[in-house]
Order: sequence, then C-alpha cells, then structure tokens
Amino acid sequence: MGDVTCELCPRYCTIPEGGAGDCRVRVNIDGKLVATTYGRPSSVHIDPVEKKPLYHFHPGSAVFSIATAGCNLHCRNCQNWQLSQRGGEEMERIYRAEPADVVDAALAENCHSIAYTYSDPIIFYEYVYDTSVLAHDHGLKNIFVTAGYINEKPMRRLCQVIDATNIDLKAFDDGFYRRNCSGSLKPVLDAMVIAREEGVWLEVTNLVIPTLNDDIATVRRMAHWIRDNLGEQTPLHISRFTPHYQMRNLPPTPVESLHRVWNEARDAGLKYVYIGNIYGHKSESTYCPNDNTRLIHRVGFSVEEYNLTSDGRCPVCNQKVSGVW
Amino acid sequence: MKSRNRISTMRRRFLALLAVFSGSLLTSRSVATGKQRQLSLHEADFYKPHDLAG
Repeated sequence: MGDVTCELCPRYCTIPEGGAGDCRVRVNIDGKLVATTYGRPSSVHIDPVEKKPLYHFHPGSAVFSIATAGCNLHCRNCQNWQLSQRGGEEMERIYRAEPADVVDAALAENCHSIAYTYSDPIIFYEYVYDTSVLAHDHGLKNIFVTAGYINEKPMRRLCQVIDATNIDLKAFDDGFYRRNCSGSLKPVLDAMVIAREEGVWLEVTNLVIPTLNDDIATVRRMAHWIRDNLGEQTPLHISRFTPHYQMRNLPPTPVESLHRVWNEARDAGLKYVYIGNIYGHKSESTYCPNDNTRLIHRVGFSVEEYNLTSDGRCPVCNQKVSGVW
Repeated sequence: MKSRNRISTMRRRFLALLAVFSGSLLTSRSVATGKQRQLSLHEADFYKPHDLAG
C-alpha cells in the first residue's frame, strides 16, 4: 500500500494511506482513491433554473439540486462555506441517496433537470457522473455548477453527460485566484473552452468584489477573452458580492460598480449580460440583441413573462437567441 | 493505524468542542460520536427556503 495521486483537479494531491486530499472528501483507503461522499449529499433542494444561474436553458424549469460536503477551492468569500469547507464527517446531516434515489426523487417532483451545485461538484465527480448517466436514461437533463478548477481529461469525460454548466470565473487575474481561492486562473479558462468545444450549454458568472476584482481594465480583458474564446453569445452574469465567511471586511458591491462592469462587457460585444443579486433589476431580464425587445421578463428567480418563439427567436424581428429553449 | 485512530478521535473531540462553543448542539453531538444522522432522501424538505448560492 502507498500514496495515491488524485488526478481530478490541478492540485494533483498526493494522498498517504488513511489521508484525505485538499478537498477533504477524496481519501486514500488501502491504497485506493475513494470519494467518501458518493451517494451522501448534505444539501438537497428544488430550485428554479434561474438560481444556478442559467437564463438561456429551459427558463422557469425546476431543478433538483444536490451537493455534498467539500471543495477543491478555499475562497475567502465563500457564501456556502459551511458546506464547502467541511469534510463529510463534520456535517450535521447526510442523506442516503444513491444515483437511482436522486433520479427517482427528481422525477417524482416533476423536475426537468438535476443540478450538481452549492459546493463544487468536481469533488464528488463519480457521483455526478453516475447520476447523470442514469438521469439521461430517464429523460432528465444535467446541470453542472462549478468554479471549473478541474483537469482536462475528467472535464471532457464529464461533458459527455452534462447538458449545461455555469462556470464561476472569479476574476480575470491569476493573483486573485492565488490570494483568495488558493487556486489559479488558467485551468478555469481551459474548462470553459472545453465546455464550449464539447457542446455543453455554457453561462459564466463573475462575482464583483469591491477593490479586489473590479478594476475596469481587468474587466475589459475578461469580457474580450469571453467574446474571443467562448463567443459573443455567451451569457455573462455579473453578480453582487455580499460579505461572507473570511471576507466580512468589505462592503457589498455598489450598484454603480456593477453598472460599470455591465457597460464594459456590453461594449466588448457580449450580447447577453445580466446583473445578479439585485432583486428586480432590469438587467435580470433578457432583451433581443437586435431590437431590444424584452424577451424574458424576470424578477428575482421568477419568470414573469416569456415572449420567445418556440424555436427561440424574437417575436418582433425574428432574431435567433442563443440558448436551449 | 492505532495512532491514526487516536488522532482522528482527538480531532473529532476538538471539532465537537468548537461546535459547542459556536452553539450547535446537533453538530457537536454528531461530530463527537462520529455518527451523523443518516437520513433517507424522503426525509428532506426539498422546498425549504435556503440561502445557498448556486
């Protein structure tokens, strides 16, 4: 028996027998790498798909959402730290839910999709994969909500069973990843490109944190990179930061900062830029990139009005709107 | 193996103590005993409001 190396994410943890990887939940038992949270989610909820957030993927549909403890990043501002920064043995409650149980429950509750979310589902990869295969067999879609800190090979394999993903681009700055997340930028960019190449519906989230990642020149580079590498049709969600976990010293993002970022992203040519975490903001809604007709009116996570044609076009000018409708 | 078990037990007790101080009796009990409440999925309230992101 000896050490094992986990090749799932760029950390490449070398784990001694009886030890755990950086994510706390992938352990070496008798020389074998074991995902200890397989079939043992700690959070199970039904959310609207808009909460993921996915705005161009079956709007208004219900999503059976699961997460286990653990994460391969350690973001100082993590909103879900009580789940993500703990090992499975530290959770108050754990559900017994094999992939078949998850699929049965999602079907019984008339959900359209299963989302692997809340913590980073990369760390319960095998559970995601097996559940996704079974979900497809039963006509359900799969949604992967992630920070994208994953190696190429497992990401490409996962893309074969995932229908949509929201990847959290925390900053377009490697230093930010190193200082605040104990990660790095490039693997995240690579994961986004892979999702696009493999035909998975992709939306990107960027949480704007005052003074840490709201520099407008950096935002401009990010928007240009998204346009050039993922396409101008890629929805970008600009989200408001609120103080959490180890980053309570900063104020919530001023609305003016979000507007500056929104303007910069639109100036770069991105067609669908949204502002999140501000209830009722007009930029929660989808507008036609051609004639600015309001196509989907959202308030919070609720779809109040849906005006797209059945094949995803503007009813006024017939402009095709990218998405899975 | 014994020493690892001892470390694991000590770690659990330490975490349990932390949980007591932070006011979570459920957590402290489950951590101290090393036994979580293993629930059936049917016991979950899927529609309970929550503040998890994502």
